Amino acid sequence: MESHEHHSMNIDGHAQHATVQSESVEEIEMRSWKRKLIWAWVFSIPIAFLMLSERLFGMSLLPEEFMIPALLILAFPVVFIVGWSTIRGGMRGFYTFYFSMDSLIALGTVVAYLTGFFSYFGFVADYSGVSAMIMAIFITGKYIEAKAKGRASQEIKKLLELGAKKALVLRGKKEVEIDITDVQIGDIIIVKPGEKIPTDGVVVRGESAVDESMVTGESLPSEKSKGNNVIGATINQDGILYVKVTKIGKDTFLAHIIKLVEEAQGTKVPIQKLADKITSIFVPLIIVVALISFANWWIFTGEISRALGVGIAVLVIACPCSLGLAVPISLMVGSGMGAKAGILIRKGEAIQTMKEVKIIVFDKTGTITKGKPEVTDIYSIAKESYLLEISATLEKLSEHPIARAIVAKADLKSYKKVTNFSILRGRGLEGKIGTKKILIGNRTLMAENRVDIKKLDERLQSFESVGKTTMIVVENKKVLGFIAVADAVKDDSITAINKLKMEGYRTVMLTGDNERTALAIAKQVGLSEVIANVLPEDKAKKVEELQKEGFVAFVGDGVNDAPALKQANVGIAMGSGTDIAIEAGDLVLAKSSLTGVVQAIHLSRATFRKIKQNLFWAFAYNVVAIPLAIGGVLQPIVAEIAMALSSITVVMNANLLRKTRI
Amino acid sequence: MKKIKLTISGMHCGSCAGNIERSVSKVSGVKSVSVRMMTNTGIVECEDSVSDEDLKKAVAKAGYKVMKAEKE
Repeated sequence: MESHEHHSMNIDGHAQHATVQSESVEEIEMRSWKRKLIWAWVFSIPIAFLMLSERLFGMSLLPEEFMIPALLILAFPVVFIVGWSTIRGGMRGFYTFYFSMDSLIALGTVVAYLTGFFSYFGFVADYSGVSAMIMAIFITGKYIEAKAKGRASQEIKKLLELGAKKALVLRGKKEVEIDITDVQIGDIIIVKPGEKIPTDGVVVRGESAVDESMVTGESLPSEKSKGNNVIGATINQDGILYVKVTKIGKDTFLAHIIKLVEEAQGTKVPIQKLADKITSIFVPLIIVVALISFANWWIFTGEISRALGVGIAVLVIACPCSLGLAVPISLMVGSGMGAKAGILIRKGEAIQTMKEVKIIVFDKTGTITKGKPEVTDIYSIAKESYLLEISATLEKLSEHPIARAIVAKADLKSYKKVTNFSILRGRGLEGKIGTKKILIGNRTLMAENRVDIKKLDERLQSFESVGKTTMIVVENKKVLGFIAVADAVKDDSITAINKLKMEGYRTVMLTGDNERTALAIAKQVGLSEVIANVLPEDKAKKVEELQKEGFVAFVGDGVNDAPALKQANVGIAMGSGTDIAIEAGDLVLAKSSLTGVVQAIHLSRATFRKIKQNLFWAFAYNVVAIPLAIGGVLQPIVAEIAMALSSITVVMNANLLRKTRI
Repeated sequence: MKKIKLTISGMHCGSCAGNIERSVSKVSGVKSVSVRMMTNTGIVECEDSVSDEDLKKAVAKAGYKVMKAEKE
């Protein structure tokens, strides 16, 4: 217990720190940009007036001899005090060789400022006012960008804030309010109507509807009563629930989701590689280009002032920021949107691969169907209760959903001893009760054991053709009868599959069931292709075969389907309730519905489209703007405005992703 | 081997993250480093012998500041 406590303290403390801290870094930076912004313009506005009056009206607000000193004095605080961190950071690049955006701005502004002094010697025009304007616009751009970046991460921040801080715990007969970090596994917590469920657990008393939309994206509230699992951070609506705590701290559903989302943001989208390569050499390259432009203009026009203007314009117009931001900011908005809808993007790569996917393969049980089979019919040659009894005795030892259905149906008080028991994966079970050898399983198992089922065949077929799974029961090689089990199709499977088909995807169902049962289910939901009789271990192989015909996305429940999820080009793992298949999928759904698959596919495509758009704009901007600056078409101030706008555009465009309906 | 999460301030573009990754990966004992500009964090996998101070210095060398270093 002690280790648990330590665990929870540690992890929860950690999670809270993370919240406070990531906010504080951003907040500190926001505040500092804002302060810089104000002070930069306090000095830059008078500078703008001084410069404009001369240029526009041909008359000066100040006598000629005061003009340059005034600009130098006003510009100094903007460039060297307000812009100090930029200047220092940027200049450092020149002796450590870690160049960044700041290096370009620092070089541009410092050179421009120094012209003010050189102008006394008469060989160059004064750009000192320009240096302040560049810095002020740069800071303004950064401020707007920082704000938009904050907006891009809003969904993820909301996730972090979702967790409850306090819990009402039953101690003896008393209700005590304690800190969430002090809650331990096994505690009984009381959740009143309208309150947040503090952590993951199982209901031991009470009934209520719980709104789980914040973590699963499922809009309908889910009914909870004794025995149901509840998720921390979801909201209890109308009844009082007594919940036994099963997970705390880092093991909770919410903590898993947050971790997934955070990790995904560190992954790269392959398309980013080129942009990353360019940004890494971009700054030194631009410095060289600026120097060459300066030299060329000086040599060919003989006007050093003009040449300096061009050099500065080249330095400040180049924008590695927009290139560097294009992908991560789009991914951030996309993954945030996904998290809100219960879709977790685990690997940025999946977003890019999704575009190529042609074939979507679905696992049947638990994916298309509810995964909760029920016994619907029993056909018995011997006594029905006896057939059910021996079946349940064996099935009790298996964890398979069908086994559970049979055990539930029989509802035995006590179980006889079973010897020589073994699970025959994908086929059934065998074992001995006393001296009787029992076999329960499908046609394959019967064929293997040379059990003649000809007499049953017609009857079996009639059940199979309506989508029921049949388990034949055999005692000492003698057929006793069979049990038919049906697993209902999920409500939204039909619409979801229809949508995917309309979008041109080839849809395939993969199942261990016999062909007739599988075809019946496929027909119900409108799937065109079925691959039946697939042993669990062969699912990945079947996916591999399909991959010869095109990129495959596999949708499965992650627990049994991990190899197939990994084999597929995109693995979409479906979670159900609190069990979330984290390791296997590239995309993970917190809700167990096929509508989520459609949404996940739409979100991936929309996010990737946004990434491409942003990369295109960022590249296009630099490709067009830099040559214009080299050609001397753009004034340094105009160049700086263009630069600021380009990175703001990228960030804002990423935020526009939210307008897409998924 | 240990995993350290750094909270870094001062990053504002892609080349910043690249600079930090380059600088930190040069610290001996560092196996991998991944810096996320968007979340102001960096994840460093390194030998136990690498101190937080070493990492802070490497980040500072690239021109940024470590606000906090914590074990994952």
